[in-house]
Amino acid sequence: MENKSPLSPHIQIYKWHISSLVSISNRITGIINIIAITLVCLWASLLLLGESSYEIINLFLNSFIGKFMILGITWSFLFQVLSEIRHLIMDLGYGFELKTTRITGLLVIFGSIILTIVFYLIGKNFI
Amino acid sequence: MVNINLPENSKVKKGKYFKDKTGSNNIRKVNVYRWDPSDGENPRIDTYEVDMNNCPSKVLDILNKIKNEIDSTLAYRRSCAHGVCGSCAMNIDGKNGLACTTSHSQIDGEINIYPLPHLKVKKDLIGDLDGLYKQYQSIEPWLKSQSKTQSTEIYQSKKDRAKLDGAYECIMCACCSTSCPSYWWNGDKYLGPAVLLQAYRWIIDSRDEERKKRLKKVADELKLYRCHTILNCTSACPKGLNPAKAIAEIKKMVAASNL
Repeated sequence: MENKSPLSPHIQIYKWHISSLVSISNRITGIINIIAITLVCLWASLLLLGESSYEIINLFLNSFIGKFMILGITWSFLFQVLSEIRHLIMDLGYGFELKTTRITGLLVIFGSIILTIVFYLIGKNFI
Repeated sequence: MVNINLPENSKVKKGKYFKDKTGSNNIRKVNVYRWDPSDGENPRIDTYEVDMNNCPSKVLDILNKIKNEIDSTLAYRRSCAHGVCGSCAMNIDGKNGLACTTSHSQIDGEINIYPLPHLKVKKDLIGDLDGLYKQYQSIEPWLKSQSKTQSTEIYQSKKDRAKLDGAYECIMCACCSTSCPSYWWNGDKYLGPAVLLQAYRWIIDSRDEERKKRLKKVADELKLYRCHTILNCTSACPKGLNPAKAIAEIKKMVAASNL
């Protein structure tokens, strides 16, 4: 009897809200960042092999996909930074009221997007 | 372990359709999770057409109407119908809550009703909460006092008593714990928001003399630190309590006391 009992649906039916979205995105961006940092380190170590090998990655990063990737990684880093600041404040015991969590969550989401645009403009020497 | 998909025997199939027989002009479709332990079939979603002209305001009223007038085989827990007993906790429109305090007018479109998430189903909307009660027992939710004799009163100042506000009101309906993804994946070890809120309630009670022991017991990688502030618990709590904050407070106390 016991083993026959089905498991009730969980993530399939549960509604998302701002805090749960930020929480899962925090994890995903964390994984992306680990991979990204490894790639940046590889890029840096290719300097040791001379200019030509450095140029290969340079070429890739200047392509459309490369630029897209850089922007993606920039967003992922910024999201992680803002989200971790939110978590630090929560670790101090503040900002647990539902309304506050919604506001800080939205700040993380839109803040990371706005900062990515700012970084892009700085990179392009527009600012 | 994290398992996104449901096991094969838990996949939900389409069920029966109960057409309205009253001829009402105000019909609402209600989709209810059904599972019968006696027939060996997979769970299914039955759809009921409910006459809303003759139905009171809460989701529990809809369920009562279905059971009384349409399909008496439907099984669900209910008792007080006033948000005090916590029996009718279920997943309504993708969010855990008490059927007796949730108004159906807040829900747009069809009403989806499931049992509390990630539990072994006993029948229809009834989930198995034995694991949660065992964990509740494990935190020893009673006053522990050695120095005072049993015959004398233990006084508590108004200030100390006020600390228990927001913790003692919990009715153990399990809405919060079963809304927590961490509890879904690690429910065998992680205590979950409901039990941790109660742990907190006894840790901060000024009359209790085993504060340190309690803290030590709960300060464990899996028991406590699986909370990643997803905050499903706080947004689900039908009594407006804040288990996530209580967990953060326990974490703070653990960090500040040297265990």
